[in-house]
Amino acid sequence: MSTQTAPQPPTDRSPENALVRAEGVRKSFGRNEVLRGIDLTVHRGEVMCVVGPSGSGKSTFLRCINHLENVDAGRLWVDGELVGYRQAGNKLYELREKEIARKRAEIGMVFQHFNLFPHLTVLGNVTEAPLRVRGEAKGVVDERARALLSQVGLGDRADAYPAQLSGGQKQRVAIARALAMQPKLMLFDEPTSALDPELVGEVLDFMRKLADEGMTMIVVTHEMGFAREVGDDLVFMDEGVVVEAGNPRDVLSNPQTHRCRDFLSKVL
Amino acid sequence: MTAPPVSSAAPDMEVELRTVSVRHPGRYVAVAVLLVLLAMVINGLVTNSQFQWDVVRQYLTADVILHGLVRTLELTSISMLLGIVLGIVLAVMRLSPNPMLAGASWIYVWIFRGTPVLVQLLFWNFFSVLYPQLSIGIPFGPHFASADTNVVISQFTAAILGLGLNEAAYMAEIVRAGILSIDEGQHEASAALGMTRLQTMRRIVLPQAMRVIIPPTGNETISMLKTSSTVFVIALAELTYSAQIIYNRTAQQIPLLLVASIWYLLVTTVLTIGQYYVERRFSRGSARNLPPTPLQRLRGNLFNGHSTVLTATGGSDRR
Repeated sequence: MSTQTAPQPPTDRSPENALVRAEGVRKSFGRNEVLRGIDLTVHRGEVMCVVGPSGSGKSTFLRCINHLENVDAGRLWVDGELVGYRQAGNKLYELREKEIARKRAEIGMVFQHFNLFPHLTVLGNVTEAPLRVRGEAKGVVDERARALLSQVGLGDRADAYPAQLSGGQKQRVAIARALAMQPKLMLFDEPTSALDPELVGEVLDFMRKLADEGMTMIVVTHEMGFAREVGDDLVFMDEGVVVEAGNPRDVLSNPQTHRCRDFLSKVL
Repeated sequence: MTAPPVSSAAPDMEVELRTVSVRHPGRYVAVAVLLVLLAMVINGLVTNSQFQWDVVRQYLTADVILHGLVRTLELTSISMLLGIVLGIVLAVMRLSPNPMLAGASWIYVWIFRGTPVLVQLLFWNFFSVLYPQLSIGIPFGPHFASADTNVVISQFTAAILGLGLNEAAYMAEIVRAGILSIDEGQHEASAALGMTRLQTMRRIVLPQAMRVIIPPTGNETISMLKTSSTVFVIALAELTYSAQIIYNRTAQQIPLLLVASIWYLLVTTVLTIGQYYVERRFSRGSARNLPPTPLQRLRGNLFNGHSTVLTATGGSDRR
């Protein structure tokens, strides 16, 4: 049973402390406009939960933040730098592949379907990027990876292959893999949606721990309990726009808009 | 709802029940038919003197034949190596976001898959007619070194070029199919970790694609072993041509073709076994436990006295 979380020190919500800032972000796939002007800010150390019906653009927005999708219009900053562009004078230069990769390496991402590398062991999954992308020494990386794996409760499965793990274990490996790059921001794209109900808890427990340690997180989720307890902010999205945003407890218990009330009545 | 007392059901349950497996009478019929056919074939092979098994035995390890065999193996391995390496490059080019690279790869496959390998072999053989001299230098500028084309492109080189460049076109499609079979999520996960496209391809996608690529590549290798016999058109003495050289002299066509066939079959057998183990190597991680090899199964059956198939499936349930 989760206890009432202790009141955390209020996060610094000054503009200088913003880690992710979106202004009028738009994105279309063909004629289908998935994002129609998203404005939001995530501050350092904050956990923002994004909820909404499927097709509302939550995942697409998340994927724009680490440039897995291109933004069509509007502006998106991570840590004060525009995503996908470099500003020099009044010109925006599109980034090269290497530069995009370098920025992505600072942002961890966890996917709904885990996307572990099936041909590598658990340890191989976690060490691959630090070794190949950062070129760190094997000894250092191995030690860090094993420490991370025992943090997620899988210290003894380092030599197993992903196919030998349960869904919850896979997702915990995926989180360890992302953390091995020591990211400044973690993106979670429905991390528990593909899990059996009894395995959801083990993943959420670790995410809660991560949040308590001060990691900045954006979590697309359907777990309203998690959003209420762990989230500093809750964003309700529908049809490509932010319909409602605010303190999770307020939004969940007292939704202001009809659409949000309608959605919550179906999922709560 | 009340359960019936256990004692009332007990009399039936006490009797030891024997399971009777399904009978397959059709299998016995099939065995009988096949045995008769096999007997007829063996009888024909033994009693028909036209097979001239003594001549087969005489030439099976003749120097000319063995030299031909070595040539065939050289041709097969070098052409396949060229085909695989160039095929991977072409496949990666074809899937590149750079339209020039993709287009160049498409045109390559179009030409080399669209013309007969026999024609390509002859073309390389007659390359000196087109360009008597080959030079290294600055395009449209001065040459540093040049050589007679017939010296640079020997018959063997022409054969390698003909077979290998043709094979690359087919391998490119096989590799491309393998790459496309890998889930988009693997590309995304690699990208999210900061890996570049090339790193993703080399470290994540290709190793997994190998599982899909290997079976058709084994097929291609075995096919190449036999296609290499077409180089007789440029008078290169590989296995088939060596047999022909002998029977043109001795008029013992059937036994010498048998000699060649026996060697082809032998090499194909070795390649098939090799393919099995390469496939196993690359299926790591795709199954929870690898099934035992035929050898392991045989050893298990001999020494344990019970089926290893059962223990293998039992083992796969373990977490």
